[in-house]
Amino acid sequence: MPRAIAGVLVECDPSIKAILVKIDTEHHHDFIIEEIDDEHLLIKSNKHEDLKQLLRDALKDTVREAEDSSESD
Amino acid sequence: MNAVDATDRGAVQQDVEPPSLLTIILDTNPHAWALLADSLPLSKVVANLLVFINAHVAINHANRVAVIASHSERAEWLYPTPTQPRQQHDQANGATHDGDGERADVHPPNDANKYRPFAQLEHALVTNLRRLMTTTTAPSLSTSPATLLAGALTRALAYISKQTAALPTATTSTQFNYSDPSSSTAAGGNDLNTDPTKAHTTLGLTSRILVVSVSGDLADKYIEIMNAIFACQRLSIPIDVLKLAGDPVFLQQAADTTGGIYMHLATPQARAGFLQYLMFAYLPDQTARENLIMPAGEGEGVDFRAACFCHKRIVDVGFVCSICLSIFCEPLADGTCLLCGSHLSMGNYGRNPAVVPKRKKGKGKKRALDSGADTPAGSGGEGTPAPG
Amino acid sequence: MTSTASQRALDYLEQLPGTTFTKLYQQPSTALAIFRRMLPHLAKTLVMAILYMPTPLSVSDLETWVKPDHESLQARDRALSILQRLRILFDTHDAAGRAAYKLSDAFARSLRLALTGGGNHRSFGVPCSTPDKTPVSIDYLDTFARKQWEAILYYVVGSASAGLGAEVDISAGTKQLLQKGEFVAMRGRTAHITQAGFTFLLQEINAQIWTLLIVYLEVSSSLQMDPVDVLSFLFTLGSLELGISYSTSNLTPTQQQMLEDLADFGLVYRRTSDDAADRYYPTRLATTLTSDAPALPNASLTSTATGMTTGGAGGASAPQNEKGYIIVETNYRLYAYTSSPLPISILSLFATLHTRYPNLITAKITKSSIHAAITAGITSDQIITYLTTHAHPILRRQQPVLPPTVVDQIRLWQIEGERMTAWRGYLIRDVGSAEEYEKAVAYAEALGVLRKEFKAKGSFFVTRMDQMSGYFKAQAVRKREAIAQREAEARGGGGGAGRK
Repeated sequence: MPRAIAGVLVECDPSIKAILVKIDTEHHHDFIIEEIDDEHLLIKSNKHEDLKQLLRDALKDTVREAEDSSESD
Repeated sequence: MNAVDATDRGAVQQDVEPPSLLTIILDTNPHAWALLADSLPLSKVVANLLVFINAHVAINHANRVAVIASHSERAEWLYPTPTQPRQQHDQANGATHDGDGERADVHPPNDANKYRPFAQLEHALVTNLRRLMTTTTAPSLSTSPATLLAGALTRALAYISKQTAALPTATTSTQFNYSDPSSSTAAGGNDLNTDPTKAHTTLGLTSRILVVSVSGDLADKYIEIMNAIFACQRLSIPIDVLKLAGDPVFLQQAADTTGGIYMHLATPQARAGFLQYLMFAYLPDQTARENLIMPAGEGEGVDFRAACFCHKRIVDVGFVCSICLSIFCEPLADGTCLLCGSHLSMGNYGRNPAVVPKRKKGKGKKRALDSGADTPAGSGGEGTPAPG
Repeated sequence: MTSTASQRALDYLEQLPGTTFTKLYQQPSTALAIFRRMLPHLAKTLVMAILYMPTPLSVSDLETWVKPDHESLQARDRALSILQRLRILFDTHDAAGRAAYKLSDAFARSLRLALTGGGNHRSFGVPCSTPDKTPVSIDYLDTFARKQWEAILYYVVGSASAGLGAEVDISAGTKQLLQKGEFVAMRGRTAHITQAGFTFLLQEINAQIWTLLIVYLEVSSSLQMDPVDVLSFLFTLGSLELGISYSTSNLTPTQQQMLEDLADFGLVYRRTSDDAADRYYPTRLATTLTSDAPALPNASLTSTATGMTTGGAGGASAPQNEKGYIIVETNYRLYAYTSSPLPISILSLFATLHTRYPNLITAKITKSSIHAAITAGITSDQIITYLTTHAHPILRRQQPVLPPTVVDQIRLWQIEGERMTAWRGYLIRDVGSAEEYEKAVAYAEALGVLRKEFKAKGSFFVTRMDQMSGYFKAQAVRKREAIAQREAEARGGGGGAGRK
C-alpha cells in the first residue's frame, strides 16, 4: 500500500542543500524528514519558516553581496 | 524574509479562453418550415435555439452572439437589432413566442427570475422574428421559393470582421496589453491569417457561423455562396451546418472546406433531439474543439459538385474558363466567357485526355469555340477552353 | 480557474461542506455564476453537453469524445477533477451498469432554470418597480466605486510609507477586514503593510475584489452570517445590470447587513435618506464580479482603479491618460506623469523616488529598491506587469513596451537571491510495481497536482492528496478483485480457464 508523508518539498542547489543539512544537524535533526536527492529535501511543514530564517542568516555570513541591499521587513 | 525563497513567485498560470462570437443563420424560408410543421415547428426550433444561445453566452462573459434570418427574399438581422438596441414599440404584446402564450406579459426589465442579458436577447430576437414574419407578404412568398443564404452569409461575415476589428482596440486589457494597437489587428485574425493557433495565443475573438438550414435548392446563388465560403476559409471561421431538411449541396461543402461540422437530422426522431444535438455537437467553440473529437461530416461522402454560372444547374462535368475559372454546363456559343469576357477557343473536347499540348502556344489564337467540340483529333491538345 | 482571483474563490468554495453546496445550487444565479467563473473551458462544454441529456454520460462515451492526445486528456482530467471538487459532477452508473457521470440534481435544475428563465427564485435581483426620483447616472456610479476602492487601496499602500499616508477615510469595518486578511498588520496604533498586502495591491482589480471578498466570507461565517446567504448574494450581484436600481425587499437580514459593508467597498451604492433606503445600485465593481475583467468591452475601471486621477485633476483628457502614465528608460530612470498619491505610493514600493514636480515624479529602479520589494514579497513579474499596464502611450507605440534590459535586469535581480523553492504537500512512496508507479504519476500529472517525481527513489511529490488517496483506494480495490478472480479461476481449474 502506498504511503504519503506530509511535508514541504524544498528544491535547491547542492551547495544550499549542504547548508540546510548542516543547519539540521545543528538543531538536533529537527527539520529534515528525508533527503531525497542532491537537490531535494523533504522538511517538516511547521519548520519551513524557521529554516528559511536560519538559511538567510547563514547566507549572510558566507555570501558577500556586492552591494548591501536587502533589509528584512 | 522571502529573499531566499522563490516559492511564491511561480509563474502565475493565465489561460484565459478567447471570447467567441457565434453567428447563427436561421433559415426562415416559410415554404420549407411548412413542410416541417408536423415534426419540428419553427416555434420549437426558436425556443431551443434560445437555450442554445443562452448556453453560449453563459460560457464566457465576453461571448457574443448574432442571429440573422435568411428569409425568402431578404436576409434580416434578428439579433442584435440593427437600428436601436431594442425596439420598444410593440413590446406590450410582442414579447410572446410563436404559439407560446404564457410569457405574453413578460416585460424583460422587471423579471427577477431571468438573467437580464438572456431576457433582453430573447426579447429582441423574438420581436424581430415576429416583425419579419408579419411583414412577409403572400406575393413575395409566391415569387421566391428559396432562401437568401448568400446574403445572410455575407452579412454574417461583415459583422464578424467588424467585431474582430473592434475588439482588440476596445479592450486594451490590463494583463495582456503586450498587444498594442499595431499588432492587435493580427490578433483579431483580420490579416488573412490562416493559422488558427495563432489567434489563440492572444485574446482575439474567435468566430464561427452556424447555419440552421431547411431549404433545398441554393444553386441560384452559387457564386455568392462559394465566395462567402472561401472568405470564411481564409479567415479560419468554421461554418457549422445543421440541416433539418432539404438537400443543400453547397452547405456540405461549406462545412467541409472551413472545418465546420455538418449534420443532417433526417428523421423525426433525430429532429426531436434538436436541442441535444445543438448542446453536444455545436456548442463547443474552437478552443474546446481542440480537445474534442467532433462529429466528422460524412467525410469522403461530401458532394463536391458545382453549379454552372450560365444556367445555375448543378453539374458533374463542365467547362471551365481558363482565365477566371468560371464554370459552364455547355460550350459557349460565341467563345466569349460570360464573366470575364475573354475569348476562348475549344480544343477537341472529349477525344483526347487533357495532356500537355504539343503545339506552340500562339497557334490556337483567334479560333472560335464552336469549331472545337467535334473537330477531328490532332488540331489541338487542350480539353478545357484556352484563352483566345 | 481562469485567473488567480477565481483560483482563490475556488479554494474557498472547495472547503465548504457538501450540504452548503446543495443549498448554494438552489439559486440559479449562483449556479450560473459558478459555471461561468469557476470552471475550466472544457468543463463548461461538458456540463452543457450533459445538461439536457436524459441519461448519465458513461465514462467510455466521454473517453471516445475527448481526443486521445496528452494535452486533451490532461484537460479532461482537470475538468473532471474541478467538477467533482465543486460537487457538480458525480459518479454513477448508467442503465447498463457501466460507470457514468451525472450532474448534481440541484445544480442541473438551477442551471436549466437560468438558461430558460422561469421559476420563482428571484435570484437575479428584483429591480425597483418605481423610477428613482433622483436617478443615478453610470458615470456617478463609476466615480463612486473608484473613490471607495481607491480609498481602500490607499489605506493599504499608505501604511507602507508613513510619509505619504495622508488621512484616508475608510470605515472601521473595512480596516478590521484588511487586518483579518493580513493585508496590513497593526503595530501599536499604526498599520503596516504586509507581504499579502503588497501582492494585493499589484493584482488586477477584479482579483483584488475577490481577494477581499473571500476574506469577508471567512470573517462573516465567524459573525454568525450564513455563508450561503453571503455567497448567493455576491453571485446575484454579479448578474445585475449597471445603472438600474434594485429593491432590497427580498433580501434576507444577512444580506441587508451585507449591503452596508459592500457600500463601503464601493460595490453597491445606496442613499441613506428615507425615501431611497429600499433601493440599491450595483456599481461596475459588482457587475463584473462574475466575469473575466480583461475581456470586458468597456472595462475602463479595471485599468484605472490603480490609475491616476480620481476624476478631478485629469479632467477631460482623463480617459486617455488613465491608461498609462509611466515612462521607463533604458537607464532605469522612471518618469511618472501623475500627481495622485496612490500611484506614487505604489511606485515607491519598488523604485527610489527622486524629485516631485506638480504633474511629474522622477524615480529610479535600482538593485536595492527591487530587492526591498522582493524582500517584502512583491515578485518581479508583478512589478513588470504593473509597469507594462500603466505604460505611457509613447512607450506603448514600441514593441516590447518596456526596455528589455530593464525587464531582464529586474528578473535577474530577483533570481539572484533565490536559493530554494518550497512546496507544501505530500511525498508518496511505496507505490508498488514500476507500472503502477508510472500510472500513479501520470494520474497525478493529469490532475495538475504533481510537483516532482523521483524515479530512482520510486517516490513522487504532490500538492494535493484527497483525489490521489481516492485513486489509490480504487486501485487497491481493483487489485483485490483481480486477485480474488485469479484465485477463483485457479480453484475452478481447467473449467474456468475459458473465462476472462
